[in-house]
Amino acid sequence: MLPTLKGDLVITCSRCGKENQDHYKFCLGCGNEIKPAPKPATREPAPLETARTILPPEAKPAVGSLGNEPTPLPTLSPPAPGKSKGGIPWNDSPKMPITPSNGGGVASGILGAATPPPLTPGSTDAGNWAAPRPVSGTPQAQPAPVPTPSPAVVASAPAAVEGTPCPNCGRMVPPGFAFCGACGTRMNAAAAAAPSPRTMYMSAPAAAPVPRGRIILIRPDGSEGGAHPLHDGENLVGRSQGSLFEGDLYLSPRHAEFQLGPQGLVVKDLRSLNGVFVKILGEEPLESGDVIRIGQELLRFEIIAPPTPLEDGTEVAGTPNPGFWGRLSVVVGRDVDGSAFPLFGDAIVMGRERGDILFPEDGYVSGTHARISLRDGRVYLADVGSSNGTFLRVRGERSLPTGSFILMGQQLFRAEYK
Amino acid sequence: MNGAKTCPTCGSEVPADFKFCGKCGTRVDGTTSSSSSVPAAKTMYFGTNQVPGRAKLIVIKGEGMDGLSYQLAGNEHIAGRSEGAILFPDDPLMSPRHANFIYRDNKLYVRDEGSVNGIFMRIKVPTSIPSGGLFLIGEQLLQVEPSPPDLGPQPDSESTYFYASPKRPSKMKLVQRLRGGEVGMIYRARGDTITIGREGNDVNFLDDPFISGRHAQLAISADGQMTLTDLGSKNGTFIRLGDETQLAHGDYVFLGQQLLRVEIA
Repeated sequence: MLPTLKGDLVITCSRCGKENQDHYKFCLGCGNEIKPAPKPATREPAPLETARTILPPEAKPAVGSLGNEPTPLPTLSPPAPGKSKGGIPWNDSPKMPITPSNGGGVASGILGAATPPPLTPGSTDAGNWAAPRPVSGTPQAQPAPVPTPSPAVVASAPAAVEGTPCPNCGRMVPPGFAFCGACGTRMNAAAAAAPSPRTMYMSAPAAAPVPRGRIILIRPDGSEGGAHPLHDGENLVGRSQGSLFEGDLYLSPRHAEFQLGPQGLVVKDLRSLNGVFVKILGEEPLESGDVIRIGQELLRFEIIAPPTPLEDGTEVAGTPNPGFWGRLSVVVGRDVDGSAFPLFGDAIVMGRERGDILFPEDGYVSGTHARISLRDGRVYLADVGSSNGTFLRVRGERSLPTGSFILMGQQLFRAEYK
Repeated sequence: MNGAKTCPTCGSEVPADFKFCGKCGTRVDGTTSSSSSVPAAKTMYFGTNQVPGRAKLIVIKGEGMDGLSYQLAGNEHIAGRSEGAILFPDDPLMSPRHANFIYRDNKLYVRDEGSVNGIFMRIKVPTSIPSGGLFLIGEQLLQVEPSPPDLGPQPDSESTYFYASPKRPSKMKLVQRLRGGEVGMIYRARGDTITIGREGNDVNFLDDPFISGRHAQLAISADGQMTLTDLGSKNGTFIRLGDETQLAHGDYVFLGQQLLRVEIA
């Protein structure tokens, strides 16, 4: 059932021979435009089962092994689907020795489809927009021999040692590269003018105002990936908006708008297909139709209305309601529901091992994870100490305190602003 | 009911050893059966029951007690909440015009008159059930749906893929329909069958006193055909009728909240 991962999508640059990740628009080596290779069968994203995760940095060690296999649950776990997830290779990425600069994206295995390429592999801060810390001494300072750099590269190669942030998207571009691998911006002008990446960063405000905030990618292992700047005013995020997002086929081209103002940050879902999910902190009131993510599960909450007779006075027959006030449906496709669980009593607890609604096959769901409760006629959602958090889909728009975790597409982010 | 008598006043069946009709209180111990109070119409009524090939519907009350009975003496007999000869004015699950009992070629058929809640018939053998088919077990109204074929990821018009919960293939699902039309629970089959009962089955309704321990089973074949089987339950398994259906002696039919037994002389 699970497509194998071996077809990890790599495109070899026709000009310089460098291997690039499938979603790059421009070759990391020479800046040559990469034509979407005529791929035989699929232009599909990585299999759903594998290409997703949420593992905020504070994840507990016990969950660190998530990627390998959900904890076996001798009594609860029905075998079939468990097997299908067996190969989730989140943490398999190191199986390939990290080859600096050109291997990074490829080595990340399945992640390649979901996360932007770490441009300076070996450093967990690789693409960190705000902290291009000098990583002197780390191996990747000496990139592997760049395969036959094109003349263009030679001509324009700046003397940067540790890589240079792209003036357009902020991604670190390894030294010797003439173009940003993520967005294709030509590097030489800015880079040449900058004696060092540090200075480059400091001098950037001359060209553009300093972004007051940023959206930081959180990698599956909890480390920080790249960042997307948030300027005052409106910031559009989507698959076609910035390197951090462009490889993610679960993002709509125009997915969300982040409005940064004096009052703080507000995210507005631009009617995206998959929505924007925010990690909840306290108790959140739920409305009928709200969508929740815990682990890999996409769940829809609905209120069960009391029966009302039809116009001719007939009542629709059915099971006498034994006290169900709500229903939680597992969303398995567009307009397709899988299982559905009635909600009754004061509270219903969801978890992998304990609770009223169990997801024994989802290794990203904690033993007990979240709770939906009814109090004074209102319904509330709360996390009950899960490792990966409980996420609620933003209806319309929502203000985000700094430090908020956000799920968009297949990736987890943290929003920060001053 | 063995040796049952018919109340001369209201027509209800009265067990043999009862002296008074439970429905209307008329004395039925024989001493008054020949009294002058017996209306002639009732005698006539009883007489029609003797017509070969004609049927009557007996309303079953709790614990198998028989209630009112209706002679099907004409050609068509409408049953409903406010229309026709067989009236159940107090049954909110009955449509104003609900069902029609029809004779054709000396056979009795029942036809849904476009009712909201339909007609359910107790199954006697494993019975094919269509996609979306409804059935009744105890107090549970259940619906079965085969899973749609998995088309794989389908991008939208902007080439965005829909994020959904992990796929856990299942051949069919069982949907509990609550009174009023809401969905209660949905159970997805793990294999080719779903067993239903009060305990020890795939789906259990612990609080439903009308469901047997092992009550019924749904099965789906390789080509997607679904079959509903009663596993020897006490109260039976009822399937919603689609087309006009022939009735036989001893069939049980649910209209609204009324359980009727068909008796054909």
